[in-house]
Amino acid sequence: MSTPVIEAVGLRKEFRTRRGRHIVAVHDLDLSVPAGGVHGFLGPNGSGKTTTIRMLLGLARASKGEMRLFGEPVPRRLPAVMNRIGAVVEQPKFTPTFTGRKNLLLLSRSIGASTTSVDAALERVGLSGRDKDRFKGYSLGMKQRLAIAATLVKNPDLLILDEPTNGLDPAGIRDIRTTIRELGESGVTVLLSSHILAEVQQVCESVSIIGNGRLLASGSVRDLVGGSTTSASRVVVDAPDRATEHLRAAGFTVAEDDGALRVEGAPAPEEITRLLAEHDLFVSELSPVRRDLESVFLQLTKSDTLGTTEEPE
Amino acid sequence: MRLLLVELSRLRSRRAVVLMLLAAFLLTAFLAGSRIYETRPVSAADRASAQAQADAEAQQPGYQRDVARCEKRPQRYLGRQGVAADCEEMLLPQAEWYLYRTDLSVAAERQNTGLAVAFLAVAVTLVAGATFAGADWSSGSMSNQLLFEPRRSRVWLAKAGAVALAAFLVTAVVLSLFWLTLYLAAASRGIPTGATVQVDLRWTIARTALLAALAALGSYALTMLLRHTVGTLAMVFGYAVVGQAVVAAIPVEGTGRWALGNNVIAWIRDGTRYYDPSLVCRPGSGKCVQYGRLSFEQGAVYLGATVLVVVLLSLLLFRRRDIP
Repeated sequence: MSTPVIEAVGLRKEFRTRRGRHIVAVHDLDLSVPAGGVHGFLGPNGSGKTTTIRMLLGLARASKGEMRLFGEPVPRRLPAVMNRIGAVVEQPKFTPTFTGRKNLLLLSRSIGASTTSVDAALERVGLSGRDKDRFKGYSLGMKQRLAIAATLVKNPDLLILDEPTNGLDPAGIRDIRTTIRELGESGVTVLLSSHILAEVQQVCESVSIIGNGRLLASGSVRDLVGGSTTSASRVVVDAPDRATEHLRAAGFTVAEDDGALRVEGAPAPEEITRLLAEHDLFVSELSPVRRDLESVFLQLTKSDTLGTTEEPE
Repeated sequence: MRLLLVELSRLRSRRAVVLMLLAAFLLTAFLAGSRIYETRPVSAADRASAQAQADAEAQQPGYQRDVARCEKRPQRYLGRQGVAADCEEMLLPQAEWYLYRTDLSVAAERQNTGLAVAFLAVAVTLVAGATFAGADWSSGSMSNQLLFEPRRSRVWLAKAGAVALAAFLVTAVVLSLFWLTLYLAAASRGIPTGATVQVDLRWTIARTALLAALAALGSYALTMLLRHTVGTLAMVFGYAVVGQAVVAAIPVEGTGRWALGNNVIAWIRDGTRYYDPSLVCRPGSGKCVQYGRLSFEQGAVYLGATVLVVVLLSLLLFRRRDIP
């Protein structure tokens, strides 16, 4: 088995607020991201996603635990691997009075990258026509694109993206998702931190879900979702109250579900239509309930209200 | 070296820094121009105007009354040797009284406008150093830079090097242009500037440029520590003004030695004599002199040690603290 590109063991981040409260943002987190493909990093707001990323990238110090990138212990050996890593952490942060191009040129020169790589990166994110505009005049979407362009300047082996589609219009979101997918397919490992579950499900092959700074689940999206469907069916019928009565009498579990009935326990969907038809109840809609990442995520994180935990002294 | 060049490029591209340096150039040019104008040679027209003023003034009844009294009793007005013929010349306004101009003296300017220009250059580089670092923190671009070069010490040192180098060079150029302008103006008027003064000017420029580099480095380091331009400027102002008042209020003799302003002047002037009210006049000690002396070395140790403490603290904490 190949070495994980990202590995964290017992990672912990504690800090004290100005009022002296002791906060644990990341709680003995174990994380492993295999090489290649797009890996989702999911968690509610304040669950410790960004803090974990910042620790991996050397922007924040871990209180405890070990981290490795490309097998190298970080932050100690971060300089050895940083040129292989592109990252966007939180909002795009550039010098507002410089042009987009100037911002990228300064960053690229600091690692000895060529001007051509800057031009190529700007071209790839669709900013080459606006690269001479000042960063402060960019829309949020353009800022996000510039941040992604900055990651591409390095031609990275690992791309860490923290909410990369924030503020983008639908076309921009589609473009960025396509870029992420292409990068994943080309062998680049992408860690995509997002709270947009549909995005993660569309783009990622594997996912890690954290809550309260702890790892709640990790694995391939397919495994986590547990197949494409459940045994439940969504039924729309004229008289839901009577239908509920008859279905329960037959031993099925019935729950109201947004104007329809969610029926569980039926061996097959046709059993439901047959039973209801016998009682002169006719189904206008019947569909299998698909289990998705959202339901898995909500189930795993339902106790996670505020994300970070506060520990007693 | 690569990072240093990048930071120099970043510094040069900062509009606020460029505007400040431009303002320093213009203000220095204005000061040089005004000194050259104020010391311009007296023309025939100036003399005629002064003579007219003197003549008009001489017609005032008060002057005429004094001349009449003097001519009656010249010795009372002009002393034992006084004669009536001298009364008009001695008592009536003369044209020279209305020609206030002095000759342009490069040597004398060292203590006057020269010191103002030196202070201006140091102040501008100090603000430029603070705003250069502060912009990285306020925009949040520091974290982005560290995603490209994670060795924080290198980043800190490259920025520090750029700030100090730029401050040194700009100050050296500004001061050189200022003194060269005055020197050439004096030479064109046939006023010689001695070789000793010229050598002293070169050393003054070098010392001031070094002080500007130190000031820029100190303010940069403090801003990297506080992560806020305004915080740095407030602290420097507090240290310079409030700190000086606090030091003066301490009931200990010789506190003037620790005043920031005295040490800065000692650095620029290669030593200074300063008024120190905390110096106690003891009975029987003869003539009481409440003046202290500070050498360039003493000023350098004071300022160097202050900046060194800030630099070490700033670098150490920049390496350890989380980056927003």
